[in-house]
Amino acid sequence: MSVLTGVRRRESAENAATRGEAPPGQSRRSRWVINLIMGLIGIWFLLPLAWLLDAAFNPNAGPGLASPQLSVTNFIGAFHTGAGRDIANSLYLAIVSTLVTTAVSLLAGYSLSRRHVPFKGAVLVAVLFLTGLPVTMLLVPIYEMYVAFNWLNSPFWTSLVLASTSVPFAIWLLKNFIDQVPREFEEAAAIEGSGELRTLWRVVIPLALPGVLVSAILTFINAWGAFLIPLVLDSNPGQTPAAVGIYQFLDANAQVQYGPLAAYSILFSIPVLVLYLISSRWLQGGFAFAGGIKG
Amino acid sequence: MAKIVLEGVTKRFKGTTAVDDLDLEVEDGEFLVIVGPSGCGKTTTLRMLAGFDTPTSGSVMIGGKRVNAMPPKDRNLAMVFQNYALFPHMTVAKNLSFGMKIRHEPRATIESEIARIADMLGIEPLLGRKPSQLSGGERQRVALGRALLRKPQAFLLDEPLSNLDAALRTQMRTELQRIHRQFPVTTIYVTHDQVEAMTMADRVALMDKGRLQQIAAPQAMYEEPASAFVAGFIGSPKINLIPGRLRKTGSSVAVSCLSCDIPVNGSAGEVLRNGSADELLVGFRPEEIRPTVVDAADLPVVTGTVEVIEPLGPETHVVVRVGEETLTCKFPARAGLSVGGSIRLELDVAQMKLFDARTGDRIR
Repeated sequence: MSVLTGVRRRESAENAATRGEAPPGQSRRSRWVINLIMGLIGIWFLLPLAWLLDAAFNPNAGPGLASPQLSVTNFIGAFHTGAGRDIANSLYLAIVSTLVTTAVSLLAGYSLSRRHVPFKGAVLVAVLFLTGLPVTMLLVPIYEMYVAFNWLNSPFWTSLVLASTSVPFAIWLLKNFIDQVPREFEEAAAIEGSGELRTLWRVVIPLALPGVLVSAILTFINAWGAFLIPLVLDSNPGQTPAAVGIYQFLDANAQVQYGPLAAYSILFSIPVLVLYLISSRWLQGGFAFAGGIKG
Repeated sequence: MAKIVLEGVTKRFKGTTAVDDLDLEVEDGEFLVIVGPSGCGKTTTLRMLAGFDTPTSGSVMIGGKRVNAMPPKDRNLAMVFQNYALFPHMTVAKNLSFGMKIRHEPRATIESEIARIADMLGIEPLLGRKPSQLSGGERQRVALGRALLRKPQAFLLDEPLSNLDAALRTQMRTELQRIHRQFPVTTIYVTHDQVEAMTMADRVALMDKGRLQQIAAPQAMYEEPASAFVAGFIGSPKINLIPGRLRKTGSSVAVSCLSCDIPVNGSAGEVLRNGSADELLVGFRPEEIRPTVVDAADLPVVTGTVEVIEPLGPETHVVVRVGEETLTCKFPARAGLSVGGSIRLELDVAQMKLFDARTGDRIR
């Protein structure tokens, strides 16, 4: 998979760097110019982040940068306006949709990878097409359906819609990861008397675990940041997820509350940051079939 | 323990026939080696026995039961894979106990059985390690241990030694024979290495192009090959197959090759006299060609030039050019030869094997 070749390529680049060699076709000076330009672009993108940190800890934060302070007033304010509850709601939506997506996509990805599926090529293209489908297109019919079934304002049913938006991509990802698991392991398990579900659970999933985690993390992040679907399907104020809740600071009394907004944003981004760190570690780890199969 | 029978088994994959109308009977407790060049259908045969592939036609019977449609998990077989297929995320102990846990054997039994097998194979110190921390030979032992713990109706081994170095391969060969004596379970062993086939098998089944060429005890196959292909595949160095022409003079028949006429008597002569084959392949094994100084009484003698000398210690392999042909001979250690030198060779006519050059069939 591209993930693996990417890792390998980076390793070779790192080797070149540790030897102190410039990549071919680059002089020392042109490298310096490139670094300067990249640095300037980096600073341009870092400025809003710097403002975010500055504003979150400044009780009188405005739209501009101020001298740094260290006050937690904004965080307390954010919690008073329900940040804790909103984040709990977000966690519920994200966790349920991650569990559902992972379970569904694992079974689908495994079947598409291993079993004879009629018109498999067409099915895969259809799944790929679905990953590009904008949610807005689906929202009106889903809303109508939810009205008909009386599923509106339910975090559970809302999380199912979030899950369904992640499933196509997760199926693709997991199918490709499972394709990488050598079949001999499953055959060895079968000969030992293991049925297909047990083999999936005890052998395939552990071996495809990096892929499963990556898929789960991407699904989680997708559900965590979802705005439109919970906004439309769940109008109960007590069930607002953080991505929707953050807007209260923008339009309350037509005045932007910069400090609490920044503090809320930081709280909101912590779980995602943690997951990104974990997932990058897993992506670097790659697969560990070593020892089981001699290649 | 079970008898295994294949009846008219054919397996076709998208246009190619991997196994073609194969009939095979493996007796209970027999050690059968299926040998053949790559692509001959031997691994496909094994996979059909294991249940990974379903025959296109014919039947696979294990222990008297037709198992064509039975999934692998219900066949009660054990298999050792070419690349071992140890579960990389489990320790050696977990790999070994995997199947027993599935069969709900009591924990005490699992522990004592693993201890017993680990002791037998000398892998106790490895039980806590992961497969990636093992050497090739150690992995091989663990894979064998996993198969032994299965207590199967039959063992299926798919080139289990091909990933080992030469010394280890010889050692494991002996060990496998010892294990088979200890657990005389029906064993089907697939390999492309004729030495493994010759040394380990009760009977050897030689396959080529999806068809069974011959099935016989190793020595019988060596001495009485059914075709030029079998003769060429079994034996190292390979048999010398020299083109020859049939000469019929009156009632006697001779084959002319290497500038001498060798009379053919007995049933082979009978067949040749009445048959249509006149282009022949004359087979002499390397040990059936000996250096000679004096003209032996009635053995044909040819003269050639020494081209290559390969001293192996106890014996020496010598390639001799005789006219257009080259002969590989197996001589005693110090034959006192030099490359480029002239040499006289006598052919052991009693051992001569004749084949129809067109069909490759043995004439006897």
